[in-house]
Amino acid sequence: MIFYACDIPEDLTYDIERDVWIRFDGEIATLGMTDVAQTRCGKIAAISFRSVGKKVEQGKALATIESAKWVGPFPAPFSCEIVETNEKGFAENILLANKDPYGIGWLVKVRPTNLEAESSHLVTGEAAAEKYKERIKELKVNCLRCID
Amino acid sequence: MSKKIRLLYMEGVSPLRSQTVYHAVGYAMKQDTPNTIILVSPNAPYVSIGYHQDLQKEVDLEYCAAHNLPVYRREVGGGAVYLDSGQLFTQWIFHKEDLPASLEERFALYIDPIVQTYKELGINANYRPINDIHVNGKKIGGTGAAQMGIAEILVGSLMYTFDKKTMSQVLKVPSEKMRDKIFESLEAYMTTMTEQLGSTPDRAMVKDLYLKKVSEALGAEIVEGEWTAEEEAMAKEIDARFVSDEWLYQKGQLKQQGVKIHQDVHIVEAAFKAQGGLIRVIARLREGRIDDVTISGDFTLLPVFAVGALEQSLRGVAATPENLKSKIEEAYYRLNIQSPGVTPADFTTAIMNAVTPPQAA
Repeated sequence: MIFYACDIPEDLTYDIERDVWIRFDGEIATLGMTDVAQTRCGKIAAISFRSVGKKVEQGKALATIESAKWVGPFPAPFSCEIVETNEKGFAENILLANKDPYGIGWLVKVRPTNLEAESSHLVTGEAAAEKYKERIKELKVNCLRCID
Repeated sequence: MSKKIRLLYMEGVSPLRSQTVYHAVGYAMKQDTPNTIILVSPNAPYVSIGYHQDLQKEVDLEYCAAHNLPVYRREVGGGAVYLDSGQLFTQWIFHKEDLPASLEERFALYIDPIVQTYKELGINANYRPINDIHVNGKKIGGTGAAQMGIAEILVGSLMYTFDKKTMSQVLKVPSEKMRDKIFESLEAYMTTMTEQLGSTPDRAMVKDLYLKKVSEALGAEIVEGEWTAEEEAMAKEIDARFVSDEWLYQKGQLKQQGVKIHQDVHIVEAAFKAQGGLIRVIARLREGRIDDVTISGDFTLLPVFAVGALEQSLRGVAATPENLKSKIEEAYYRLNIQSPGVTPADFTTAIMNAVTPPQAA
């Protein structure tokens, strides 16, 4: 779904409140900033990732993101253990998430540790698209991507 | 917003506490914590660095040690800054639902009472989106934002005075020429209440005026309140973290283009090895144009006054390779410049290396 230039792929799962997308692949979940999140954040200036192997509680920071104007967490949509980060990718090009938030701009791969109890807020498919429409209207966001 | 806002007024706290108080209120915030504004100033000078900066690359630690200036890493972004009692920090720690969702609107709301305070004092201050305040093209204080726990934070200052000389001393820079350029640029592009008014206004009066403007902007009553035991405990925890080497020396990833003076003005520096010698460039860029440039190196350029003339001819030129090369070629022709082993294209490359640093392979 594209709404106000914001791309919300319906094959992904979302934590809408935290603006995080999730791609489940077996017991591993890949996480990243949604188009809405990267637009609201603006051009990323730096990211520091928590270490691989670290266990992070739901809502706590998997990474800290700095844009030109703001510093804040990239929050865990559910409690998890970090298995891989895209630190190398962002070291080569800090704008990865601003260019391609659902592809090369992924942030971390995690192993959920309490998913059954912490997944009721996650949405996917048409339901996600509908809820994101409301959020995009509420936030008055028009999504933008970086080209270079 | 109908709820009361708690004011914590803390003039003259330690440098460390002037930073950790807003982190403490942020991280200690719960659903029933009131939105809080802290007005705080330090009782001694210090240096604050941005969350992702690399301390050893950005700050002249020898200078700071020799002048008893502590350095603290904040959890807000941006660059290193020298701070002292000449600024009253205005820190908002709010629930996110009580602030606009868009960052731009949030900054506009936060900055408005500062601008209105300056205006009422007779200073022609204006909001310069996204997060600067300008007075006739000069910046008067910076602002930043962060999320800490459930709190959204906005920080900035009311700028009574600013020690530009010491600011230029605390930064680690590649050359003293660059340091001079930073100082000159701070003089040219930063201002304070004292500079604008000719004398420092009464601080109590300015504080009250600011609170009145905040109250008007937010439609909320501001009531002086108490710092809680829980916030004190959190502050102690953050104090300990902020003075730890692990926190202070953590590896920074922030790659900045030179030194930012304000939103539109940067000082950049680069060198380029041409066949006829090394060309060093320090340039001040303003809105994409060369505002000022210093060229030096071990090349030969005749006539002897040609370097100065070349620098002069580049002022105001849009910083693109085509424009620069054309201006430099014109100066070569006009002044009959001779420079063995160094061409106009080499000077263009040196300047462009400063403007847009070449990407590491």
